[in-house]
Amino acid sequence: MRSRRRPVRTASRVPILWVAVIVLGVATWFYYTHRAPVSGESIAVYYTKLDGTSLGAARVSLRPRAADESTAEHLHNTVFYAAVQAVAGPPNGIKAIRFPPATRVLGVGIDGSTATVDLSKDVEQQAGGTFGENGEFKALVYTLTGIRGIDAVQVTIDGARVQTLPGGHLELDEPLHRSDW
Amino acid sequence: MSRSTARTGRFAAALSIAAWISVAAPARADAPIVALYQGTTIRFAHVATGGGGLAIGVNDPGFQALLHGTGAWVTWKPGERYILITTSVPAVVSFAMGERRYDVGPITLEASFAPFERGKEAYLPFNEVLRALDLVLRQDGQIKVIQPQLAALDVRQEEGRVTLRAHGGAPLHPRIVRQSPNAITYAFDGIGTTLGGTRQVGAGGVRSIAISSSGSARNPSTFVTVTLEPGTAPQPPQSTGTNEVVLAFGGGAQPGRAEQTFAEDSPSPEPAPTSTGTSGPAIVTGVTTAPASDGVAVTIAISGDASYEWHRLRDPDNRFWVDVKNAQLQGAPIEQNLMTPLVSMRVRAIDPSTVRIALTLDGQKPVTLTPSDAGLIVNVGVEDVGDVPRSGTGSVGSVVAAGEQNAAPVTPAPLDTSGEDYSSPEDTTWKFGPHSQYVPTNPRLIVIDPGHGGSDRGTIHGGVSEADLTLDMAKRLRDLLIARGWQVKLTREADVDVYAPNDSAHDELQARVDVANKAGARVFVSIHANAFINSGPYGTTTYISKPDDVALARIVERQLAADGTKDDGVVKSHLYVTYHTRMPAVLVETAFLSNPSDYALLTSAAWRQKVAQEIADAIGEYARQYPVPNQPAQ
Repeated sequence: MRSRRRPVRTASRVPILWVAVIVLGVATWFYYTHRAPVSGESIAVYYTKLDGTSLGAARVSLRPRAADESTAEHLHNTVFYAAVQAVAGPPNGIKAIRFPPATRVLGVGIDGSTATVDLSKDVEQQAGGTFGENGEFKALVYTLTGIRGIDAVQVTIDGARVQTLPGGHLELDEPLHRSDW
Repeated sequence: MSRSTARTGRFAAALSIAAWISVAAPARADAPIVALYQGTTIRFAHVATGGGGLAIGVNDPGFQALLHGTGAWVTWKPGERYILITTSVPAVVSFAMGERRYDVGPITLEASFAPFERGKEAYLPFNEVLRALDLVLRQDGQIKVIQPQLAALDVRQEEGRVTLRAHGGAPLHPRIVRQSPNAITYAFDGIGTTLGGTRQVGAGGVRSIAISSSGSARNPSTFVTVTLEPGTAPQPPQSTGTNEVVLAFGGGAQPGRAEQTFAEDSPSPEPAPTSTGTSGPAIVTGVTTAPASDGVAVTIAISGDASYEWHRLRDPDNRFWVDVKNAQLQGAPIEQNLMTPLVSMRVRAIDPSTVRIALTLDGQKPVTLTPSDAGLIVNVGVEDVGDVPRSGTGSVGSVVAAGEQNAAPVTPAPLDTSGEDYSSPEDTTWKFGPHSQYVPTNPRLIVIDPGHGGSDRGTIHGGVSEADLTLDMAKRLRDLLIARGWQVKLTREADVDVYAPNDSAHDELQARVDVANKAGARVFVSIHANAFINSGPYGTTTYISKPDDVALARIVERQLAADGTKDDGVVKSHLYVTYHTRMPAVLVETAFLSNPSDYALLTSAAWRQKVAQEIADAIGEYARQYPVPNQPAQ
């Protein structure tokens, strides 16, 4: 008796499985195409105003931490993102002290609570005064030390530690802190 | 398991795998794309399709050439999550691996597919990248064309003139094609646009701006026609950036404040209001948002006279709204999601004579309202503040232009809590280490450091070098101090390097520090001339680094405040010479060689003598106020 019933029960399951698979497929498709954006963090990107001392800030959004991103990777990625934003500076309409136009962030590193930012040699194309140099690095340091876990910034140029910029005034061979300003 | 069940299971697994592949599989390589950009043929070889659109590899030589042509660059390394493009605006276009959402400056958008990594190269959605660079990929017959766009035209009133700041995907060279006393038309050759229609401005002598385009995908032209009030004169276009030009107009008959933005997502143009007289209703002609120096400015353009009333709710319900009364809304209601410090904005008519602009704030943000004859500007700051006013009223229109006071309370200007302003001599927020308890071994010795010299000329403007000026001022100061009984040592007496010819900046600075430290000087004064990349900044700044520097710096700054240029106060910084000298030290940036009026001062011998005199007076005053123990006051 049992052997006769089994094919009947199996046959009745087939449409159910079909429906389940289709629902699963549609749900997967719907999830990936209609999922609501996840709220991300934002960070303050500081810039030094043209009075040479006071700071302004613009907030930029940050993607939420990815599932496969470790805490250390997330910090590294955030510092990298913030450094590029700080070096780019605020939009043109905002009057600010800016890094020399072609200055790029070549890479970042984290050692404890110190972030190392490697800048391209274009940063050496300074106008010559303390004004620009002071405002640029103040904004960079404030931006990066606004990230939880970072309290100092070591600047390198083309991968090398430098003591000052050529003809410069600011000491760069030690990590810079907010308290330096 | 029966055979049919097994078959069903296998089918379900296959379907699931297929579904996963359709969603998450990397795109496949595709044939190269050849496109024209600014008359140059670019071949894009690292392209892929299949992820939902056309993807471009960031290492593609063609893509790199395109970025270079637009003044942009990409920052990414294998393994990095963010792929960041810095544009010429400057703005950072940020993509994240595996995320469809991306940002162009403060604006978050969603791409047709997420960036992916393949073969140690990041692939980005090409069309979205082009759009962020103010470019569009168009087809011209069999040829693909990357067409630069006139992407934005910001209308502002700056320093008594109205400016149109145009930004596009290539260098902009506006050409006047038609001009009359009442209108001027500029052509932007080679530039297309999706902007179009007419905007009413009605301020600063500019009545309206109309944008149109013509030509083929390969040879487009965009025309901007500005209709002017009588007596308003156009000024020559001025390039202000790689892909930016400013068209300025001055001498208008109706000075006012205008701030509108043509942007690609602008609503369709609406007919101009027919009546703006004081007796009829006012017209809210547009509401735009733009980044401001300390947050976001919401500009409500209002034609005619109106009163307004605003309210805000208490945190955590951070809604703010302003009702413009006796007013009608021109165009469709607006509903926008915005970036912090705003969350969203709604503009609509709540009854036939009231237009409501409702903002949802991202926290208890400071709000400042500035009425004018052209409307109302609502500034929303970034940093949260404490308790704030909850309501107020005011007027816009001719009553403001006539100087009538708004009796209504408005939110006080936000404190700039995002940064510190050290200009106040009473400021006590500096964070220093402990005082050094420095006792000079030679309390009658002053070390003066003429900045730069020898192989380092410092800044040079108009043939005048900083090194020469600083030596001149140092010698003048030396003579004054010696006449007053001080001993003086200069770190350099001539135009030479202090350490060695062509030495490093560090060796040079350390050598200057060594002169003062080894001599056990009473104070150290380094004299400089400042400079910047443009001629705007000017003034005198006194820099310090240590607690012991503060008293000396404040006296020096006070003396120099009357030197004829702006007093920029005392500024703390990590400057080498002030940081490493053991005695009280200051670095005085006397004036800006890059500023014309400061340049005139610096090149005046009488002014340099005056500066030397003021520093000498400051040193004397400092010595009197802070005598060295067991030493007579100077």
